[in-house]
Amino acid sequence: MAQSEDQLKAWMLGGLDGDAAAHGALLRELVPLLRSFYGRRLGNAQADVEDLVQETLIAVHTRRAAYDRDRPFTAWLYAVARYRLIDYLRRRRIAVSLEDVEATLVEEDFEQASQARMDVEALLSTLSPKQARAIRETHVEGKSVAEAAAAAGIGESDVKVSVHRGLKALAARIRGTRT
Amino acid sequence: MNTEQLIASLSAEVPRVSRHALVRRIAFGIVGGALVAMVGVVAVLGLRPDLELAMQGFSFWMKSTYTMSLGLGAIYAVGRLARPVPASLRGLWFLAIPVLVLAGIGIGEFASNPSSEWLGIWLSRSWKVCPWLVLALSVPIFIGLLWSFRTLAPTRLRAAGAVAGLAAGAWAATIYCLHCPEVSAMFVLTWYSLGILLAAGVGALLGPRLMRW
Repeated sequence: MAQSEDQLKAWMLGGLDGDAAAHGALLRELVPLLRSFYGRRLGNAQADVEDLVQETLIAVHTRRAAYDRDRPFTAWLYAVARYRLIDYLRRRRIAVSLEDVEATLVEEDFEQASQARMDVEALLSTLSPKQARAIRETHVEGKSVAEAAAAAGIGESDVKVSVHRGLKALAARIRGTRT
Repeated sequence: MNTEQLIASLSAEVPRVSRHALVRRIAFGIVGGALVAMVGVVAVLGLRPDLELAMQGFSFWMKSTYTMSLGLGAIYAVGRLARPVPASLRGLWFLAIPVLVLAGIGIGEFASNPSSEWLGIWLSRSWKVCPWLVLALSVPIFIGLLWSFRTLAPTRLRAAGAVAGLAAGAWAATIYCLHCPEVSAMFVLTWYSLGILLAAGVGALLGPRLMRW
């Protein structure tokens, strides 16, 4: 991760200095990152994922001046990607309301699903990184406890405790916001 | 177009982007808009006839220092909100300093005049038109900033619109100083600030619509 940040940033800086080859390498390397970013959030809407990837590449290209050379590149990239996703969801809602009812229902399910996914992320971000990671891996991504423990480099019981405490904290928080 | 073709065409021509590209872009937008506003003041409103004399006095510099410090603070915020990564706007409380200083001068003014004259000092002659003229002069500067934002990447559009409006209003008010003959701090504090705030409010309304990308 840290290595890919360094590499991406080096290409970005090269592109900013007018190096076309570095710029091309950067854009090419971003394609799989962006596909998985949008793919995870949009699920089966493959054509839309590709549209979003292309829109984001164009934004990275035309709005390079908004990148601060002293800051991490990936944070900037994902901020741009997230903005394009939000804009896409908004546009979608407007377009959908004009279509027939059946399509609207399907779309709304889709919208709610992606909304729910964003809600989960928002809630997890209120926990400690360790608890959030344990819950995300075992409950959202569907890994086993053993896999999650190996990935994080901690013990299995540690994962279980993190999940347990994290879920308890989340439950308390949700109850708190409802009353 | 498939993605590979897109990348090829995007990386066919890669102009250099200076380290100061963002600051320069914002400065160009503001200066371009300000020149239009200045032509408006000179051609339509007219410079105040005693401008040269006024520039040797206190109140002219009090007014323009007030509006320029707000303008500089707003430009700082515009620069932060023009980048996609949420940046802290904590520095913005500095904007309270010029307001408080001017309020202090205004209280001193009132204290040294009998209370029967306060209303006259506060409203003077042009209070009804001053905020609207400031708002009108801010339009070209706001348009200039919209141009700046075309190659930048704001993600909090309402906030970006508001600070762009604030910057446009503050620099419009600075230019308006070339026309406006008012001398009192309370007048400036109320009616100039009102015009600037109107511009910020309009900016906040328009931002999400006009700064989308």
